[in-house]
Amino acid sequence: MPIHSKRVSRPPDFQPVSSDLPLVDLVDVSVSLGGAPVLSKCRLTLDPGESLGVAGPNGAGKSTLLGVVATFITPTGGSGTVLGALLAGPRTPAVRSQIGWSGHLPALYPDLTLGENLALAARLTGHPVSRGRKVLTQVGLGAAAGIRAERCSNGMLRRADLARLLIGSPRLVLLDEPDAGLDQDAAAIIDHLITRTTRRDGAVLCVSHDAARLSGWVDRVVEMREGRIV
Amino acid sequence: MKKRLLAVLSGVALGVGLILAFTSPPDLLQGDFVRILYIHVPSAWLAFLAFGVTAAGSIGWLFTRRMSWDRAAEASAEIGVLFTAIALATGMIWGKPVWGTYWDWGDARLATTAMMFFVYLGYLALRRTTTDPRLRARRSSVLGAVAVVQVPLVYFSVKLWRTLHQGLTIRPDGIQMDGAMVAALMANLAAFTLLYATLLIYRTALARIEEAAASERAPARSPVTVPRLGEAEA
Amino acid sequence: MRVGFWRSAGLIALRDLRVEIRSGEALTVVFPFAVVASWVAPLATNASPLLLRDLAAPVYWLITLLFGMMVVLRQTAVETRAQRRALALTGLDPAARFAGRSGASGLVLAAVAGTLVIPVIIFYDYRPPSGAWLMALVILLAAAGLAMLGTLAGDVTIGLRARTSLAPLLMAPLAVPLLMGAAQSLESLVAGKSIITWVLVLVIADLGLAAAGVMSARALEEISL
Repeated sequence: MPIHSKRVSRPPDFQPVSSDLPLVDLVDVSVSLGGAPVLSKCRLTLDPGESLGVAGPNGAGKSTLLGVVATFITPTGGSGTVLGALLAGPRTPAVRSQIGWSGHLPALYPDLTLGENLALAARLTGHPVSRGRKVLTQVGLGAAAGIRAERCSNGMLRRADLARLLIGSPRLVLLDEPDAGLDQDAAAIIDHLITRTTRRDGAVLCVSHDAARLSGWVDRVVEMREGRIV
Repeated sequence: MKKRLLAVLSGVALGVGLILAFTSPPDLLQGDFVRILYIHVPSAWLAFLAFGVTAAGSIGWLFTRRMSWDRAAEASAEIGVLFTAIALATGMIWGKPVWGTYWDWGDARLATTAMMFFVYLGYLALRRTTTDPRLRARRSSVLGAVAVVQVPLVYFSVKLWRTLHQGLTIRPDGIQMDGAMVAALMANLAAFTLLYATLLIYRTALARIEEAAASERAPARSPVTVPRLGEAEA
Repeated sequence: MRVGFWRSAGLIALRDLRVEIRSGEALTVVFPFAVVASWVAPLATNASPLLLRDLAAPVYWLITLLFGMMVVLRQTAVETRAQRRALALTGLDPAARFAGRSGASGLVLAAVAGTLVIPVIIFYDYRPPSGAWLMALVILLAAAGLAMLGTLAGDVTIGLRARTSLAPLLMAPLAVPLLMGAAQSLESLVAGKSIITWVLVLVIADLGLAAAGVMSARALEEISL
């Protein structure tokens, strides 16, 4: 994996990423929680148009890695850039708005209907409300727009959460065990999301405990064990 | 070595301060009760200083993310809370014979000092809830930086109140002082400041040791291993 | 396609208000509880009607402070980590989130505090002073301050198990200027004096809290993700 040491020393302010620079570039990134290492010296590069899977057992640090790339978790060691912004620098909203993320718990408000949830996500990113309804139809929930999220099944929530990522066109899509609780039809949504992103010169990082499942979605799969990419 | 020298120095200074406090002349009106002044005023001063350092440490952490700033903020807040308690207690003990009551609800400084005490108790409670040093620093640095607004509020409370309430009664702090009394007060202020520096240095060193010990106890490997279901039955 | 500060703040406020209308935690749970508290106080003191009338205003503000904290820290307004992460990735300005959440809580709180005047009039035989709009202004300013303070305290303690007790502990002493400003305004109103000084105290406290909330928003967002 190439290390772009020049890029790491760039000023922390946001710069638009040109198409040939990697979207994610982690150099020896470590994270420890309460003194215990969760990630140690992880190197990772994601180029435009690339999709990468990270497989590994429970507790290997997969979700933490995803959290670092999503700019949620500040690394305790190492350096790197995400969409041209330094990991250690301030996280500008401009960088974050280009990242799409779906974790293993759906980010929906239980008191709002699926339609209202998606409408809020659309309006906050500057899209019309109709966009929210459209993506709901895309994931097969067009008829469920009026149902409150708290009354939806787990699979419906997962579908709606993936629909969130279809509202805009994020340059970087991060998925954490995306197929958990999804049926066969719904798993096609993930396929669609990944090809849609990579075709537009974006990149996808997907983590799962199931390496075989991952290889069906992404270009290449790396393995993670005890906080290291092996 | 330097730490120990500082400890000895502050011990000597406190001794001198104590002697001066007992040899200074009694007050015309208050008699010997005035001697509480030599603990009360330096304690209050220390509380201000300590919370100022906590704010500086919090802001320093926010900008540099260096753990030493956070340790200084924590150590200073603990010392500050202790000396706020001493200032409050001595104030109450002093108040009983002089004002005739432990707690004077009309006194602005007493009320605001109690408020400051509670806020920093909350700060320490907040720190106790998080074990990871970095997460703890993130959480508490915001409060540490915001809570310092209390210090000028306490300090200027006597003045502020006057603009709102008319006719505040004369407080003992306003009484003209004799030269020997000023000297005793100054000596005690210096001694308490030295004591603060000593406590701060020892407490931050302790915090460093605590953090190192915590990271030693933390498992170096992933705590999740392959299940061994066959073995249990064998 | 970035959305402006006030527009995104408005969207967040609308979301919180909608959730509150659906769940009704503040208006159907906290408010009745506050009414019960205002009813229990005279029972416990066995006070004479004259004393009760004197107690009315301080009891009112005390209940507003305590139950106001419950309103601002209401469980249904707590976002999960996944929700906060998704919100951050919309490119939302953390300060706009603070403004929106405080705004919604402030409105709910003002509604609760405003309605609480009724049981106080009934149980304490309280005679509100003339100048109802001045009183409404005071309640609104106090509610705004309490909402901002509660939003801050809630964000500092986010994700902690001790949150429900710790956040009020951090909040109560810092709410003293608001409580004082509000109580003294009302007292001046009763005495027929000018309330401008105490309204100014409220305004200054509100401005200070707004500044603190906006300046600490980014650091607090980091904790929450």
